[in-house]
Amino acid sequence: MTMRRRAFLGLAAASSLAGCGYRSVDADYAQPAGAVPKEFANRVRVVFWSSYGGANGKAVGKLVEKFNKSQQDVYVEVQFQGSYDDVAQKVAAGLIARQAPDIAVLSDVTWERFYLNDALEPLNGYFTDDFGPKIYEPKLFGEYVVKGQSWCVPFARSTPILYYNRDLFAKAGLPDRAPRTWSELRSWGPELARVQTGGRSLRSLAFAKVDGDWQFQGNVWQFGGAYSNGLDVAIDQDGAVAAGEWQRKLIHEDGHGYMASSPMTDFAGGLVAMAQDSTGGLKSAMSKAKFKVGAGFVPSEVAAGIATGGGGIGMLRNATTERKQAAAVFLAFLARPENSAWWTTQSGYLPVVLKAREDPELKKLIADEPNFGVAIAQLANARQQDAIRLYGRNSNVAIYTGLQQIYADNAAPKKVFSSVARRLEAIGDEVRRQYEEKVL
Amino acid sequence: MTALDLPVRTHPDERPQVAASNQKRSRRRREYGLFALLVAPNLLVIAVFAYWPIIYNAFLSLTDWNMIAARPTFVGLSNYTRTLTDPAFHKTLGITIAFTGLIVAGSLVIGLALALLFNLPLKGRSVVRTISFAPHILSGAAVATIWLFIFDPGYGLMRALIEPFGAEPPDWMNNSDWALPGLVIVYLWKNVGFTALIYLAGLQGLPKELDEAAAIDGAGSWTRFRAIKLPLLAPITFFLLITTVIGTFQAFDVIAVMTGGGPGDATTTLSWSIYNEGFQAFNAGRAATLSIIMFVILLIVTTVQARVMERRVHYR
Repeated sequence: MTMRRRAFLGLAAASSLAGCGYRSVDADYAQPAGAVPKEFANRVRVVFWSSYGGANGKAVGKLVEKFNKSQQDVYVEVQFQGSYDDVAQKVAAGLIARQAPDIAVLSDVTWERFYLNDALEPLNGYFTDDFGPKIYEPKLFGEYVVKGQSWCVPFARSTPILYYNRDLFAKAGLPDRAPRTWSELRSWGPELARVQTGGRSLRSLAFAKVDGDWQFQGNVWQFGGAYSNGLDVAIDQDGAVAAGEWQRKLIHEDGHGYMASSPMTDFAGGLVAMAQDSTGGLKSAMSKAKFKVGAGFVPSEVAAGIATGGGGIGMLRNATTERKQAAAVFLAFLARPENSAWWTTQSGYLPVVLKAREDPELKKLIADEPNFGVAIAQLANARQQDAIRLYGRNSNVAIYTGLQQIYADNAAPKKVFSSVARRLEAIGDEVRRQYEEKVL
Repeated sequence: MTALDLPVRTHPDERPQVAASNQKRSRRRREYGLFALLVAPNLLVIAVFAYWPIIYNAFLSLTDWNMIAARPTFVGLSNYTRTLTDPAFHKTLGITIAFTGLIVAGSLVIGLALALLFNLPLKGRSVVRTISFAPHILSGAAVATIWLFIFDPGYGLMRALIEPFGAEPPDWMNNSDWALPGLVIVYLWKNVGFTALIYLAGLQGLPKELDEAAAIDGAGSWTRFRAIKLPLLAPITFFLLITTVIGTFQAFDVIAVMTGGGPGDATTTLSWSIYNEGFQAFNAGRAATLSIIMFVILLIVTTVQARVMERRVHYR
């Protein structure tokens, strides 16, 4: 009895101690440390956490540099934090530590959890004629509008596109275009398999081992299914199962598909004829590949449909008013047509600003290299993903680990998806109350 | 003769008993004060960085918290009941035990074999010794990246080694049957140098007389190994057993880089599932619950090992 009371008291003490460490929604938090060059010392410093490395990271750096030189009041410091998931983890940790960036890149599946838990600043109050609903691509802008308020602005938005190896297609005697339907893609398998590459017969398509559930979201729609309707899970129903079954057959019955750690690495290395991957990798694929890269729409089957994805930029509610206002100046700068267009030419991401499509440099690039126009044209088929993947924490992992079982172990999609569905239902139940209250 | 009969040696400036005991007490107090002062920084650091996280973690395990919400919700023991009845958790536990068992057994056996080899007066053994120890000090992420390349079915070293014999190399990391054995190979490669080094030190510290006496009595080298060296090495084996079990249970780096717990859940160990629950799903409560379960398991395993070994291990 004494033990129990002691344990209880200990717990109470621990919880009250811990209690004082939590986030208060409207407190002003400090910024992560950094170094401000002397020339910018007197400005308002804005910390921007980015998830773009490599060539895309350099492009972000150049945009920030251009911004810092373009005016005298604000200094933006960009801090690269790793993948989309890494940024989300670090922002969450930062909020607990009461030290958070002012703006951060949040992905298609991470911004929602910050929104649901009151960590994001509503942006409508910062909008002007040159920065706001009128200037952005409506579909991409609208995804961040919940209950009449914008919670992020689109930045590095993407859709999957179908990459194909034009040289190997020519060798196989195939037309120089992406297949129009999945059935057509499958029927090309034998011709592609006759081509030898890297000491093996060429395989048609590589599936992503990690995060493949993003591409698969579109595939499910193309086969007439859905991950969920609202939060009501549908991945165990006909369309989704048919999509899984099609992929299982391509891999395990035809031997023309496989799961790859990095489909784009294999594609750029000429090991596989096609890959469905983000348009944001276009520039880097074209510079790495030693062959002519082709790009086309992701095939349809019973329907067309493609999932939007990629990153937007959100503002943290716990930043000071001064820093928020300064950050908004930077966001408005990114939304200038010439900057949005330049970012597209450097990365391959969609131009998120409507007028960016009129930018002469982007127009010239698309004329010279039609691959850069594919995602823009395909945008007509694009839509926001099903709610369970967006709002259910870890839904994406539950789905892609299910896909791994199909890809790696030849597991029956019907069986895999029924167990994935049970996990998704549990995940959905966790957020249902918040979802109904804050989203619907 | 009892102690009381001893002649009492008197100190030249001996003071009355009471004063002496007072002085003794105050000196002792001063010593305690000094002691406390000296250990306080250490204790404080341990308390802040070791005990506080454990206590806080135990508290979190009783809550539901997504780490962004302003504060956790107290849910009692429901995380525990949910976890302990979850078939996925049982599978994870099975994988963790298989993974740990294979690595511990492999490290000890291969480590001992290597140590016996290194103990022979062979040419160039110090170079080989150094090389075999090197993987132990490499970072896990680097080791994992190298092995990803070795195992890669497209460009990997393994393909170049296996294909000439007419066999197709397995797609190690993308196949549920091969991923766990693949990880075991990597961890063994990384660990064996360390166990070998510790065993070697043990072997070199063994008394030569016993071995020589047994040899004179006609014992063969296998008998001498089994009946003399192995029992004398028991304290070393005990040490390695505990450290390897704990280390393997907590293994994370190589798994994170090479398989991410997959394909499916084929390599989802307890430590990976803690990461997944905590930092991918943002379920702090459930991650904390898994951590506490892991803590309890390791505590039990270590206690049992210590109890059993207490009876079997003889420290010289």
